[in-house]
Amino acid sequence: MAKIELQNVSITFNVYQQKRLSLKEYLARGLFRRSVNPVLRVRALEDISLSARDGDRIGVIGHNGAGKSTLLKTLAGVYPPTAGTREVDGNICSLFDITLGFEHEATGWDNIQYRAYLQGETPSSIRAKMDDIAEFSELGDFLNIAVRNYSSGMQMRLAFSIATAINPEILLIDEVLAVGDLAFLTKAKARMRELMGTARVMVMVAHDLGAITEMCNRVVWMEHGRVVAEGPPGVVVEQYVAAAAAAAGVLPEAVRAA
Amino acid sequence: MFRHLSAVWTARHFLLALVKLDLRLRYKRSVLGIGWSLAHPIAMTVVFTVVFSQLFGDGDPVGYAAFALAGLAVWGFLRDAATHGSRAFLTNEGYIRQSPMPYTIYTLRTVLGQAIHACMALSVVVALLVVWKGDAGVFVGVALALPGLLLALVAAWAVATIGAFLTAFFQDVAHILEVAAQIGFFLTPIMYRRSVLDDRGLGWLVDINPASLYLSLIRDPLLLAGIPTVAQLGQLGQLYLSALAVTAVLVALAAGVVSWLNKKVIFHL
Repeated sequence: MAKIELQNVSITFNVYQQKRLSLKEYLARGLFRRSVNPVLRVRALEDISLSARDGDRIGVIGHNGAGKSTLLKTLAGVYPPTAGTREVDGNICSLFDITLGFEHEATGWDNIQYRAYLQGETPSSIRAKMDDIAEFSELGDFLNIAVRNYSSGMQMRLAFSIATAINPEILLIDEVLAVGDLAFLTKAKARMRELMGTARVMVMVAHDLGAITEMCNRVVWMEHGRVVAEGPPGVVVEQYVAAAAAAAGVLPEAVRAA
Repeated sequence: MFRHLSAVWTARHFLLALVKLDLRLRYKRSVLGIGWSLAHPIAMTVVFTVVFSQLFGDGDPVGYAAFALAGLAVWGFLRDAATHGSRAFLTNEGYIRQSPMPYTIYTLRTVLGQAIHACMALSVVVALLVVWKGDAGVFVGVALALPGLLLALVAAWAVATIGAFLTAFFQDVAHILEVAAQIGFFLTPIMYRRSVLDDRGLGWLVDINPASLYLSLIRDPLLLAGIPTVAQLGQLGQLYLSALAVTAVLVALAAGVVSWLNKKVIFHL
């Protein structure tokens, strides 16, 4: 049984206005207590509690920078909580920053291997799945060339095919469905519905409210790192649209249409 | 720490696949391919035998070539493992941002790749010694050097890990290491023999230099002529004791750095 349990999780970290702090800067600050590169304290998540059990399909909505992706990465174990506890049982598959985790110089076939290993497969367990993955991605002979030559849509196809081939118990998705072409999008949605059918946990971040309402049975609305509302999709999405419309000074219908 | 190591063990398929890829990519699209790893030391051997042995050698050109080649192979391994390893988190950021694998596998990826590369160069040294001297005692030397190689690998992994964590916070660290490596090349008896420094009362420079410790640990047994004597074995045993101690300290430091910065480093990448 898969389980997600976040209790009062907060994530705060320091960023510097220039990308990185230099050693010189660090020493100078220590010596003179005066900085030309001030620290910004970012509260990415504040006091988030979230629990999910088998069968939960959670959609996360909110404006850009609300902490949705940070929440997903915390669930995946990429970001360690700076306060609170995270407890996740089950084999996690995460679909975010997809184009990042490829070896761009290696072929598609090799990358299938690496990513599958990254998701905890072994050489014997992926052998049977390689062909399925290749077939689902529809990349054909392109799998023999380096991923460097792929378009972002093709990378997305490959990553999605690999990630969903391993029957994860917990699926974390961040906006990936926006990249593919229409045919693949339909197929991907079907594959995800199939995955959900196996009664495991899914958490997805999307700006496509239609997809959220269609695929999720619970929605979390986040703003500034906090949860504003949580509940059935119809209710929460309605509130979210109304708030967005009020902020923009237009009718909710206009927001929906856009 | 043992939990960390077992997590590394779980990731072994991923790790080894990437190490293999690195080796393949290193000579991508070249005709000789991985043969360059052999061709390079062979070409160096010729230069050492013909030219450098006149400068530093003691009337034994091939012996000097083996000495210098083994030195360069081990030194190259230590240097590249430390400097490239320090950039491991930056180059593997894509994986780090996607998956909660233990960070040390990324430094191990670099270190293992460099170790395999160094072993190929060392195999040229062994071949050279066997062919030239026709002496099967070389293989006794290989057996004696192998544990030293393993110790050097662990030490290099520890240093690379410390360097990688620090580099994530201060990129200057990678540059500092490069400069230090450049200076270290001249201060370590790689191309010249230790006696050069001893004669000028600078032997202590070698004694405090951990790189030269691993260097002698691997090179000395390889260059032994014939079956080692008891005195030589005793000397080697002493080297092993010191290397064990240094490695233990480095590993302890690395473990400390990992537990200190493990939860912070992702926010600084």
